Amino acid sequence: MSVSRDDVLRIAQLAELDVEEDALPEIAEQMSRILDYVAQLSAIPTNGSVKTFVPGPDAIRFRPDEVAPFPLAFGPEVFAPVFKEGFFVVPKLGQFE
Amino acid sequence: MSDAKAVADRLVKAKRLNALLTPPKDLRKSLLAQATAARPTGVLYGMPVAVKDNICTLEFTTTCGSRILEGYQSPYEATAITKLKAAGALIAGKTNCDEFAMGSSTEYSVYGRVLHPLDRTRVPGGSSGGSAALVAAGAVPAALGSETGGSVRQPAAFCGVVGIKPTYGRVSRCGLVAFGSSLDQIGVFGRSVHDAARVLSVISGRDPRDATCEDRDPLRLPTVPESLQGFVIGLPKEYFPPELDPVVRRACDRAIRMMKELGAAMREVSLPHTAYAVPTYYVIAPAEASSNLARYDGVRYGPRFDGNTDLRGLYRATRGEGFGPEVRRRILVGTYVLSAGYYDAYYRRAQQMRALIAQDFRNVFDRGVDLLFTPTVPSPAFKAGEKLADPIAMYMSDIFTVTANLAGLPAISVPIGRVKGLPIGGQLIGQAFLEDEMIEAAYALERVVPATDEA
Repeated sequence: MSVSRDDVLRIAQLAELDVEEDALPEIAEQMSRILDYVAQLSAIPTNGSVKTFVPGPDAIRFRPDEVAPFPLAFGPEVFAPVFKEGFFVVPKLGQFE
Repeated sequence: MSDAKAVADRLVKAKRLNALLTPPKDLRKSLLAQATAARPTGVLYGMPVAVKDNICTLEFTTTCGSRILEGYQSPYEATAITKLKAAGALIAGKTNCDEFAMGSSTEYSVYGRVLHPLDRTRVPGGSSGGSAALVAAGAVPAALGSETGGSVRQPAAFCGVVGIKPTYGRVSRCGLVAFGSSLDQIGVFGRSVHDAARVLSVISGRDPRDATCEDRDPLRLPTVPESLQGFVIGLPKEYFPPELDPVVRRACDRAIRMMKELGAAMREVSLPHTAYAVPTYYVIAPAEASSNLARYDGVRYGPRFDGNTDLRGLYRATRGEGFGPEVRRRILVGTYVLSAGYYDAYYRRAQQMRALIAQDFRNVFDRGVDLLFTPTVPSPAFKAGEKLADPIAMYMSDIFTVTANLAGLPAISVPIGRVKGLPIGGQLIGQAFLEDEMIEAAYALERVVPATDEA
């Protein structure tokens, strides 16, 4: 298995995602299977001779540098979990890791 | 007015499929209001179009089938929705889908699975399963879905309707909740090629709010051709492997025969990197998803879970509680392949493979092939629960569709018959921004293939 229980915990921390203790073995097993499966991509030469590809316009279109507010039907007070006096309310930062 | 009532009645009747997320009362009220306001001169005047729940609307909530956006009311609407309304269409409610469009069976919605309209023990495909099921059940003539790896064409094939995925950049992504930004496109379902194509034509075209949307006029609809004379249609051998389900092969063989009779020149071609498409997709899509879904943290939108800890505790609790199993899996895989030490081994290689897959298509089109014909999915609709325990088996149902997303090409799924009552879809893949040619051929195919007969 390519992904260990500790790997899952480390990745979950990077992804800011709580993972329940008893779900760890199944997640590790499934991530291992997925990563083992996609590992067949190693068939590609690594010398950088193959360019990468992204679809879409070949050149970035520039637009006039003007501030044009995106009109919203209502403000964040409607959709935010907690919003007071123009601010999103969050708990304290806590210990810096 | 009475039309709007009839539309609402038809949609509510389809409730047993669990395809519609909008409560009947809200739907009736909104449809009546929309019908009163609709422009009678619009080309889609009075046409009800159901919308996948990952496309923002002002009329209804946008939840993406996720707990993390439960009750979310968007303060703006997608450009595609604005264009539909300007053309006189009615936004006919929001449809159930796999959470954040991640899935191939519409079993991963927090609102429960969508039933296949012809066999309730089966899945309608996904992730736009709700939209496909509503069109197939006759509740609406057309619906919007979204495509990242086949999420319109695969359910269209399973449900026996038409599904179009346009060229990347043909339709604005503004207001489509982002999953894999280099792959995502809004797509269209229709009960016929014409219904799907005219909705696509309305929503296509430039949009200053999306820098990846090409600066082009809206798509012009072709006329229905008399024949396929002059068309060279490629049959990629990698899409017809020996292990292909014989029922799918039978339906495809019949469609190929009929296209030949219509005058098309059929030519066997090869897209040698096809076998790598699914692994490539399942690196790129989760990587982009893990970045895009970082925005859901319990601060700006949706519900907040366990806000009593510190900030990071809030993020983790909200995301841990708010995301379902498949989304969590993809966020973790995406974070893994982008993390230090693994980027080159996974993400960079996937991007390189994507270039080779796109080049395969260019090579074929450069040699005089106009379109490609393939099965849309390797099998008919599968049983509910059949692939839930095995993510790879679920991913493999996208094997014939992900290539067009990776290469940014347009593709359409057309019903080409049934086997034991279950629909089979045939796919035409076109050249970038040549949807008109693809739709022309689809018109011809639709006209000659008995879509609801046994193949």
